[in-house]
Amino acid sequence: MTDFEWPWEYTFPPFFTLQPHEETRQQQLKVWSDLFLKYLKHSNKFTLNINEQDLPLFHNESLKRRLPPEFVLTILEHLQRSGHAAPLDKRRQEWQVYWYTLDEYGNMVYEWVQETGQVNSVCTIYEIAKGENTTQCQFHGVDEAVLVNALRLLEEKGKCELIELDDSHGVKFF
Amino acid sequence: MRRRVGLGAIQQQKLAAEKYKDKGTDLQESQLEQMTKQMEVFRVKLEEFAMKHKEDIRKNSQFRKQFQEMCAAIGVDPLATGKGFWSVLGMGDFYYELGVQVVEACLAANHKTGGLMELDELRRRLIAARGQSAVHQEITNEDILMAAKKLSIFGNGFVVHKLGKGKYIVQSIPGELSMEETNILTAASNTEQGFVTQKQLMRDLGWTEYRSKQSLDKVLGEGLCWIDMQANDEPSYWFPSLFPGRTAQNSTG
Repeated sequence: MTDFEWPWEYTFPPFFTLQPHEETRQQQLKVWSDLFLKYLKHSNKFTLNINEQDLPLFHNESLKRRLPPEFVLTILEHLQRSGHAAPLDKRRQEWQVYWYTLDEYGNMVYEWVQETGQVNSVCTIYEIAKGENTTQCQFHGVDEAVLVNALRLLEEKGKCELIELDDSHGVKFF
Repeated sequence: MRRRVGLGAIQQQKLAAEKYKDKGTDLQESQLEQMTKQMEVFRVKLEEFAMKHKEDIRKNSQFRKQFQEMCAAIGVDPLATGKGFWSVLGMGDFYYELGVQVVEACLAANHKTGGLMELDELRRRLIAARGQSAVHQEITNEDILMAAKKLSIFGNGFVVHKLGKGKYIVQSIPGELSMEETNILTAASNTEQGFVTQKQLMRDLGWTEYRSKQSLDKVLGEGLCWIDMQANDEPSYWFPSLFPGRTAQNSTG
């Protein structure tokens, strides 16, 4: 893994304290949200537990500053509002984070299906996420659980139908 | 000798006084005439000079600075007059243009700097913004100060604050900075990282605990600084505009 390029804010000590001033806080949350997405994409992660205290994202060791769990939660809720995250458990400890929103994923997959003429045929989830045919696509390598969520959204729009297979899913596009 | 008394003597004295006065007026008039002539010559010479060195003044920052100083010494403000013979210089245009760019650069960075920017950083941004074609038009801090000061006529949305020791900070959000706030900024700019604490204000400025707390809360409430609650002993108040790490990474990345 190549070195991650941190934004300058990561070396700014008060960045790790939620700011009381409204405008400053909005700006701060925006930078953190972008940083979360970039960091997770860089480290190929789709889930976050708010208690992973040793994650460099939550802990700048040289600066001796930590992102407290309640602050992490605030950022994740901010991401949730823009469609980039969803809690996986009721206690909101474990989160699924989307580099792209589910909508964007759905559209990307559907475009790929149309371009490659696979409308009315059945694909497996594995094929879409990890298959050889999608290596050039931006959604390649997507977490399968995330992909299923995106396809469910597409299903609601009547553009595909999910089919239960033994322990996985297949999908038929219309 | 008998003292001169009586009507005759009074009249004589009066006459003498009048003669002195006449002579004085004469002298004054001739002096004024001379001065006017000199000024006229000077004006023509200055105009000639300005015409001759127009390009130099526009392009050479050192030259421009000296020309500014000269104008200031004789009480002429080349910026105040867009019309008249000064317009041949295009000096006004130079500063108007710079002024607009100053506003643009500051507003573009407002969300990051909280509306405060150090003069040196502003200069770097301006030079970057002016691009390749203007390479020969070098601008100095004095030029920026000159342009920025002119912007204050638009109200208090744009003010230059002096932080002592040749340090300036440009404020590009509406609102007056009080003496307290200016003092806090000065204190912060004297630290390496650009932050202050309550104890530091009490020690360096001799303020009471209450006054320090009040002022810091005000600065924080106006969004000029960020608070850090994870410092060792007490909260610290940081100014992004004074934080060196911000520009250090910008220039490398």
